[in-house]
Amino acid sequence: MGRLHRQPICVASGLLVPLISLAAPAWLSLGGMTPSWAVLWLLPWSLVDGPVSGVLAGAALGLVLDGLSVGDATQVPVLMLLGWWWGRLGRHGRPIQRSLNLGLLAWIGTMLLGFSLWAQLLIQGVDAPLAQAFALHTCLAQSLITGLLAPMIGSWQLLIWRRRIPA
Amino acid sequence: MGSSPWPQGTNTRSLKRIWPWLVLLGVLGMVRWSKGVGFADAYALISRPFWPGPAQKEWIQSAQQRQDASRLQLLEADNARLRGLLSLDQQGLGDGISAAVISRTPDGWWQQIVLGKGLLDGISKGDAVTGPGGLIGRVQSVTPATSLVRLLTAPGSRVGVWVPRTRQHALLVGMGTARPQLEFLDKDVKVRPGDLVSTSPASTLLPANLPVAIVQSLNPRGVPAPTALVQLIAQPDAIDWVQVTGR
Repeated sequence: MGRLHRQPICVASGLLVPLISLAAPAWLSLGGMTPSWAVLWLLPWSLVDGPVSGVLAGAALGLVLDGLSVGDATQVPVLMLLGWWWGRLGRHGRPIQRSLNLGLLAWIGTMLLGFSLWAQLLIQGVDAPLAQAFALHTCLAQSLITGLLAPMIGSWQLLIWRRRIPA
Repeated sequence: MGSSPWPQGTNTRSLKRIWPWLVLLGVLGMVRWSKGVGFADAYALISRPFWPGPAQKEWIQSAQQRQDASRLQLLEADNARLRGLLSLDQQGLGDGISAAVISRTPDGWWQQIVLGKGLLDGISKGDAVTGPGGLIGRVQSVTPATSLVRLLTAPGSRVGVWVPRTRQHALLVGMGTARPQLEFLDKDVKVRPGDLVSTSPASTLLPANLPVAIVQSLNPRGVPAPTALVQLIAQPDAIDWVQVTGR
């Protein structure tokens, strides 16, 4: 684990994720879809603080967001997986900070999250063609808006958090 | 092989490092189990200054009167049909609870709204939520100060409805799109575009004869029974105040 999780202000920033998810600002949407705020927060967190912290943060975010959502679909497994993956990427090799890299990682993460929710809908029996078209649209729109925002929001978070924890 | 990402040292030391996070996860698990108690209430408290003002509430009340008029027509027709046959339990909207919409996600994976009233105001799980024009969803879970409402358009949402003109029952299934699908139980369907869809007059889960939607198109070759696409009368993405009605 890194040291980011020992700074209360950094941990408290995670509280913004469920609050912004509830506020769901309509002016920041693409095709009616708002970005995945969990992915936008978890990506820089895991890159800075490592895989174990990433897994725990992913589980924590997933639990809260599941609690605030209708239905039985869960985000926990994919957010934990993403936290682990991005944590390992942050620990091995050169630091990830280029806009394209951040955008691509956020895009892949949101697509994975979308596919997992889509799969859960299929398991629940929501498999009509209209529902499939909705799921595809939601996956693509959410991953695109998240990928576009990640370089802006993620770079800013990385900058602040890396300053607080110099290598 | 790179260095292990897990904490180094003995198991005891690792456990000492990680136990506060496990406790935190446990607490968050409780949040998950209680469907957002604490977080949703905190959000309601923080966002209270930004809740919609009373102007739209008045507009909604006048729309509510129009809704009541159409509902009265349905009830009269229903009573005429049932008169002399049996005495049906009289279910009505009664005194609904007005609640502000404090969070809304009409699109996306979770199509829901959060209301600024909850358990303390008498709202309970399963209550019907109506906007100007008709039913928009049902309360899925409640916290002391908020209620989470699953919209009729949400994928997986299923509500029993009927078409008063043809007296046929159907299931209104949310597809994630703005237009839910009507799945009929009979194969011989006489419904046509423009027909009103309402809650069943004998419904025990929802208030009876509540307008829900208008049939937009019919697919008579649906398998195993015909289906139809409907347009909801009340638009959840443009409503700031709703009425919550208990069973």
